[in-house]
Amino acid sequence: MDKIIITNNKLVHQGYYEKVETLFLGDFTYLQVLELVRDKIHKGHKLLTHPLSGSVKPNETPFKSIIISKKQNVMSFADLSIIEESIASAKRFMGNQVTPAWSEKILNDFRIIDLSLIENGICNMYF
Amino acid sequence: MHLELGNIFINDVQFGSQTKVENKTLYVNKEELITLISEDEHLKSVDVELAKPGESIRITPVKDVIEPRVKVAGSGGIFPGVLTKVDTVGAGRTHVLKGAAVVTTGKVVGFQEGIIDMTGTGAEYTPFSKLNNVVLICQPVDDIKPHDHERALRMAGLKAAEYFGKAGKDIEPDEVLSFETLPLLKSIEKYPKLPKVAYVQMLQSQGLLHDTYVYGVDAKQTLPTLIKPTELMDGAIISGNCVSACDKNTTYHHLNNPIVQDLFKQHGKEINFVGVIITNENVFLADKQRSSNWTADLAEYLGVEGVVVSQEGFGNPDTDLIMNCKKIEEKGIKTVIVTDEYAGRNGASQSLADADPKADAVVTGGNANEVIKLPPMEKIIGDLSIVNTIAGGFDGSVQKDGSLVVELQTITGATNELGFNKLTAKGF
Repeated sequence: MDKIIITNNKLVHQGYYEKVETLFLGDFTYLQVLELVRDKIHKGHKLLTHPLSGSVKPNETPFKSIIISKKQNVMSFADLSIIEESIASAKRFMGNQVTPAWSEKILNDFRIIDLSLIENGICNMYF
Repeated sequence: MHLELGNIFINDVQFGSQTKVENKTLYVNKEELITLISEDEHLKSVDVELAKPGESIRITPVKDVIEPRVKVAGSGGIFPGVLTKVDTVGAGRTHVLKGAAVVTTGKVVGFQEGIIDMTGTGAEYTPFSKLNNVVLICQPVDDIKPHDHERALRMAGLKAAEYFGKAGKDIEPDEVLSFETLPLLKSIEKYPKLPKVAYVQMLQSQGLLHDTYVYGVDAKQTLPTLIKPTELMDGAIISGNCVSACDKNTTYHHLNNPIVQDLFKQHGKEINFVGVIITNENVFLADKQRSSNWTADLAEYLGVEGVVVSQEGFGNPDTDLIMNCKKIEEKGIKTVIVTDEYAGRNGASQSLADADPKADAVVTGGNANEVIKLPPMEKIIGDLSIVNTIAGGFDGSVQKDGSLVVELQTITGATNELGFNKLTAKGF
C-alpha cells in the first residue's frame, strides 16, 4: 500500500506491520512522533490522517499514530500548516501539565483508543 | 413537518413502588429499572441512585445524560434505529419529562472524565446540576472489551430514558411547544423577504469513545446530509462520545440543541430557518475534504444566505470546523462558528488548533483550561479516585479535605460547543 504508519503504539504496529509499512518508534514521545512527521512532510510525504486525531488531550495520552503517503512529491504547505499547528497545540498542553506516569493498564487503554482512531477506515483508503 | 413538544415539568424524583409521574414528581421503581437494564449480558451488576439539585452529590465519571421522551403521535419512536424501528421521526407529538434526566456512570477505560456536582462551584458550570437525575451505575462483566462496555452503557442510558419517557405518555403536558419545517420552496414562498439560514451540525466520529449515531448509523460512515430539526428532538442523533467531557454533546444536548431552539425562535421574524445539515469529524484528511466539500455544496444548494456551524470536541475537529467555515464562506455564504477554547490556564494562548481569516464570527463556549476548585461533596456517585486520572485533573487533584483542583474540561457540558452552558464574558 502506498502509505506509511508512523507510530509509537505497539498495538498499531502489531496489528498492521504485515499489511502496511509501519515505522515503529517505541521510545518516542507523542511530541517526537509529531516532529518526525513534520520532517517527513518537509521531505514531500503527504499527511493522510490528522495529527491531533481523537479528543484525548496531547498531555494525557503518550501514544500517537499518524499515516503519511509513501510517495514523496512537492511539499504540501497545507499539510505543513496542519502539523505545525498540531505541534504548537500539543506543546501548549504539555506546558500546562506534563503527561502523568500512567499505570500499565491505563497505558493499554490509551493504546486501544489510538488503535481504534487509526483503524477506522484504514482498509478503505484507496490513495 | 410539524412537531409538538409536550413538556411535563418534573420538580422532584423519588423511589416508589411504581414508575409514574404524579404532581410533577417522577417516581422510580428501582427494582423494575434494574431488571430492565440488567438484561444486557455485558453488565454484571446495575445500581440506581438519585441526585437532585442542591444536594451535596458529585457524579463521576459521567458517560451520557439523556432526557426521557416518548412519542405520543406521529411515526416512529424515540431513538429510531437504535431502540425503535428506523421510521422517520420529527412529526406528530412527543412528550418530554422536562427537568428529569438519566445519567450513566462507569469506568470504560482507566482514564475517564466527566463530573456533575449538584451543588457548589461546580454546579454552576454544568446545566445538569439543575436536573432531577436518575443515575445508573453499571458494572460490566469481567474482561469486557472497551467497545462492548461503551455500547452497554450507551444502551443502558437510552433504555432507561425510554422507560421513564413512557411514564409521561398519558400525562397532560404543562406546556406544548410547536415547531414546523416546511418543504424548502414553500418556506421560501412563505418568507420571501427573510434571509435563509441553515445550521451545520458537526458530529464527533473518530472511533472508540468518540462516536455519534444517526438513526443508528455510525456517523463516521455517513456523508453530510440534510435532516429536519425536529428529528433531532425525537432522538435521531445519539451520543457515543465519552471523551472531552466539557465539550462533547451528550444525547441530552442533541435532544435540546440550543442552536436549533434559537433559530426556531427567530424563524419567521428575523430569519427563515430552512434546515439542518449534519456532517462528521473523521480522522482521515480525505474524509475531512469530502465532508467539508459536501457540506458547502449542500449549503449552496439550499440557497441560504447564512449558516451557523457548531463543532464537537477538541483538536482534530478544529480542522473540520475551519474547512467547513472556509468552504462555505467561499460560496458567498456568511458563517458563524461555535466552538470552545483550549487557550492555556491564563487564557492567553491560541485557542484553536486551526484558524482562517474567514472565521471572523466566532462564538466561544469558554476556556476549557481554566483551573477551578470544587468543594468536597458529602456523597460520591461513581468513583472519585479516578479524578486523578481524569482529563484536566492531575496528580494531587484530590485535596485532603476532598475538594478538587481541576481544569474546567473535567466538568460535563461546561464549555459545550452548542452553547448549552452558562459561561459568559465581561468587557472592561
